This record gives sequence, C-alpha cells and structure tokens, in this order.
Amino acid sequence: MIETIEHLGLGLSVALTLQNVFFCFVGCLIGTLVGVLPGVGPVATISILLPVTLSLDPTGALIMLAGIYYGAQYGGSTTAILVNIPGEATAVVTAIDGHEMAKRGKAGLALGLAAIGSFIAGTFATIVIAALATPMTKLGLLFGPAEYFSLMIMGLVLAVVLAHGSLVKALAMIVAGVLLSCVGADMETGRERMTFGLHMLTDGIEFVVLAMGIFGFGEIFKNLADPEKRDVVRGKIGRLLPTLAELRENIRPILRGTGLGSVLGVLPGNGAILAPFASYALEKRLSDRPQDFGKGVPAAVAGPESANNAGAQTSFIPLLTLGLPPNAVMALMVGAMMIQGIVPGPQVIENNPDLFWGLVASMWIGNLMLVVINLPLIGLWVKLLKVPYRLLFPAIVAFCCIGLFSISNDPAQVMMAGVLGLLGFALYKLQFEAAPLALGFVLGRLLEEKLRQALLISDGSMTTFLTSPLSAFLLLIGLVALVIAVLPSMRKSRDEIFTDA
Amino acid sequence: MSREVAPPTPSLNPWLGRERLAGLSLVVFGLFALWAGSDLPSFTQDGIGSGLLPRALAVIIALLGVVQIVVTWKDTPESTGSWPIRDMLPVLIGVFLFALTIRGYDFGAFAVPVLGMSVATPLSIIFAGAAAKDVRFGELIVFAAILTAICIGLFRYALGLSLPVAPWLIGY
Repeated sequence: MIETIEHLGLGLSVALTLQNVFFCFVGCLIGTLVGVLPGVGPVATISILLPVTLSLDPTGALIMLAGIYYGAQYGGSTTAILVNIPGEATAVVTAIDGHEMAKRGKAGLALGLAAIGSFIAGTFATIVIAALATPMTKLGLLFGPAEYFSLMIMGLVLAVVLAHGSLVKALAMIVAGVLLSCVGADMETGRERMTFGLHMLTDGIEFVVLAMGIFGFGEIFKNLADPEKRDVVRGKIGRLLPTLAELRENIRPILRGTGLGSVLGVLPGNGAILAPFASYALEKRLSDRPQDFGKGVPAAVAGPESANNAGAQTSFIPLLTLGLPPNAVMALMVGAMMIQGIVPGPQVIENNPDLFWGLVASMWIGNLMLVVINLPLIGLWVKLLKVPYRLLFPAIVAFCCIGLFSISNDPAQVMMAGVLGLLGFALYKLQFEAAPLALGFVLGRLLEEKLRQALLISDGSMTTFLTSPLSAFLLLIGLVALVIAVLPSMRKSRDEIFTDA
Repeated sequence: MSREVAPPTPSLNPWLGRERLAGLSLVVFGLFALWAGSDLPSFTQDGIGSGLLPRALAVIIALLGVVQIVVTWKDTPESTGSWPIRDMLPVLIGVFLFALTIRGYDFGAFAVPVLGMSVATPLSIIFAGAAAKDVRFGELIVFAAILTAICIGLFRYALGLSLPVAPWLIGY
C-alpha cells in the first residue's frame, strides 16, 4: 500500500512536469475531438499520429497517445447523447438513454453524469493499475515461452468468447488475423511466406496499414454505403452539473459500472467494449422500474459511461506488465513503444520506472482535464458536430494518406491500405467483427515466436505446454471458457447482455 | 443496435444469404492461403518449418467456413444489402492518386514526377469528396485548398516530418 503511494508519487512528479502536462492536454484534446467526430476512431487517429511522436521523448509520446485513447472514450459519449450516433463503439449503450434524455431537454444532466462517472471511474482505475502493476510484473517474470504461449492462447479464446455475435465467425477472424501476421519474411529462416514476390509484402503487413485500412478507410466505405442518420439535438442542453440528490441517486450505478469496467477491461479483445453493455444489463436488472430503461434513465448513462472509461484504462494493465496488447489500440501502443526503443514486457517497470509510473499518473491528470475540456467547452463540440460528413470524410482520407506515407515512406503501403479498406467493408457486410482480426494479427507474430522458442527448449515435444503447471492452468481456463461459451444457456445470457441494450 | 437487419427476401438464392456467403468466403480464403503457402516446408530437420503454422491456420479457417455453412444451413437467407462499389471508387482513386503523386512513381514506360503534398493532398480530398451523394464542388475545392495549407503547415513545418511539399516549385 505504502509502496503504491510512493510509486504514484514518483509518477505524479514525472507527469506534472510542464512538458508532460502539455502532452497530456494535447492528447486529451485530440482524443475528445476524435471521439466526438463520428467516423474517426482512436485506432485510425493513433495510427496517423504515430510518426508525430517520433520527435517526442518516450514518456511524452506515450502520455499523449494514452490521452487520445481515453479522451476518445469520453468524447464518444458526447456524440452519443447529442446526436444519437455512438462516436465510438463503446458509446453504443450511452446513445440509447442518453439521447432520450437529450430529447427531453436533459442533455446537460446526461453529459454531466457521464463526465462525473468517467472521472470517478478513471480515478479508481488508476489506483487499480498502480496496485496491480507490481504483482503482475512479478508474475510476468515467471513466464517462459511456453507460459507466454498458453497465456496468449487463453487470451485469444477469451476474446472469442467475449466477442459480439457468432462464435464461429469470431474464431475465424482471430485465426485469419494470426494467418495474416505470417505473411512476409519468416523471422527465423528469413524465408518469404505468401508474399507472391511482391516487394511491399516482404516485411510483412504493417499493423498500421491493416488498422488504417480496415478501421479508417473501411469505416468511410461503410458510411458511404449506409449513411447514418444524424439527429443533432436542437433544443437547449440545460444544466450540466447534477444536483446532490441526482448525484446520490447515481453514485451506485457509477461505482458498479466502475467495478465491472475495471475487471472486464483487463480481459483481451472486446473486454472494454463489453463493459458498458454489461453495466447496462446489470442496472436494468437491479432497477425498480426496468421498463423505463430506453426512455431516458440517468442510471443507464452514468453506469455504462463509468464502465467504459474504467475498462479503457485497465486495458493498459496486460500491455504494461506482461507486454501483451489486449486490443487494437494497445497494439498501436506497442508500436509506439518499439519506435522509442522500449520493448514492452515485465522489465519496463524495472528499467523505465519514470515512464511507467509517469504514464499511470498521467491517466488520472488526464481524466481531470477531460472534465474541464468537456463540460465548459460543450458548445464548441456541438458546433463541430455540425460539420457535414461530405467534408469530414475527405479530410479523414487525406490525413490517413499523409499518416501512412510518413510512417513507411512507401506509396505502395498507402495503396495497400486503400485495398484493405474494401476488405473492411466486405467484413462489415458479412457481419464479421474486425476487432478479433486485429487482435489475432497483433498477437500472431509473438505467438509463433514463443511457440518455436518453447519447442526449441523442449526439443520439439508438444507436452511442454502441459507439463508446466502454470501453462497447463492457463490452457485449462481457456478450455473451460470455450466450453461454457458453447453451452446453450450461456450463449443465451451472453446474447441477452447485448440485446438488452 | 445500429446495424439494420434487412427484411428476409423469400426469392433470395440461399448461397447469396449473408451467413452462407460468410462461410463460403472463409472456405475460399482458407484454400487460397493453402495455395499461397504451398511452397513452404512444414518440417525441417531442425523442427518446425516456416510452412507449418500458416498451413494449419489455413486449414482451420476453411473448416470453420464449412462449420459456418452447416450451422446456418436452415436459416432464412438474409440479403447483404447493396454493395455500391461504384460509389466508393472515387475514394479509392483519391487514395491511389495520393500514393502515385506524393513521391512520384516509376511505371517503367512512363514515370509520375514527384509532385509532393501540394498536389497529392488536394487530389485525394477532391476525388474522395466526389464520392459523397450531396457533393458541392465549389465548396469542396475551397475546402481542399484550406486543408492542404493546414496539412503542409502542420506535418512539414510544425512537426518536421520530411514529406515532399512542392519540389517542382520550391525545390523540396
């Protein structure tokens, strides 16, 4: 406990330097902007801004990128409440009751509760990260290649279980992601795999290219084919700050949402996205008047909003302590760390304590800033929402092109991302989730590396994954999760969580 | 949820229903990957070869495709809706034009000169913008000019990235 406080103190001393406060602020501001504008996700934005962080020091770069991520979670709720379009996938639930509240002239209350809930969640999640960091890192140091391999397998299985919709499709997407990561030179033998002799594939598919293609261009194609209806609230926003009575009414949903989000956020794949759905379902079940849900209940905004913010933050835990990214955004953070010469893993906390604790402490500062950025500046964000999509998407196209080119300095990569955009559109049309694909892709190379290392150590014997107790335990959890997920009763309640909302 | 479910169309060929099409795509993708990796050895004398994992994954994907087709066999086929590829084409053209002009491109028979951000950016914006159904070209051209200036200022000067701006005019 004392140790945790000491660590946070060190972190604050790093995060509170003028320079890092500035990067945190810029990150939160850009993140809010991205979150507010529908059609630009955090994945595409962080991809675009990766080359920008080259000129910063590692701590500042990561603080800014993290700010973009949780800032986007935050901004997404503004759009959800005011326009009824979830600015981010995690704000889908907020759109339901939040927009109903807005239609009744209580947009301000919804925004205020979302902000306060998110701040409480952010504060709590920061403490969770700080408390879990040291033990998780110690655990990570016990992991050999076999344990890492089994942990990743378990993570991928959990990602399938938590994914939205068909299990078969989610599984196929993960496997396809791992397969795509095999393209390019084999890291052990240097032999080219599935490159068709194309020069641009020799080094493999860059994750940034894949992410910008599927999440950036794919999203644009999707919106062009099926335009979303925009329904900007014309009326007054109303009072922003809730009264004490309203706060007291909503503090329980906020705390429950925070708890749910903190736990689910650590899980790989859809964890952070599932959290608001789970919170909504929970509040509905606990409510005296469940029939009111969907008609503008404040608790249905406060709970899920807290859950998504907490989840966004705790999803940093696997990355920072074990070096395993649990979702696409965290995968980009791996990229950002590698650019700066930092290999993510349990050794980071030891070798770069300033960076580690500075980043954690900056999250709390960032959450405080978000309250400041969001509430008084709400009028500005509303104006921004009135920018028509016909101008917005060409700007996104241009930014993506510039970002892609400046990362790779190779025009072929820009074209490849454009073509991958079509793939993203096809996935959307066939109702495949792109998130598991990205996760599989991200973990793919690491998975193969650890598999080979483990088999090298064990002289080619596959039993090495079962003879190590830790590895066997991790595989068992994965197996149990898969079995439970396939059970009809479990499938039903999982679908209910999503369809309740 | 935001995804609209298309009303079932009774006359739809079941192989064109969304779920079966999804399964079919997986089978095709798996077989394609098998073919693409067919030159790679599965095992070498040192242990696992570079072909084992890709091959195993490709087989799994194809099998999952079959499972997908089987489990949705009796479902009423749902249409995937429209695929307005032609409406998206301008965006793709914009992206390709950006790629070809930003640093030039040598096709062998002829070469695109290095035109830099000053040309590549507005080209991509105007072509992409043409994809909107409610496009207004006057507005789009003004917007492209302003945004190009902002991008050059931001990426080249403020952030110091070494992107060519207008080599044909100012030399870099």
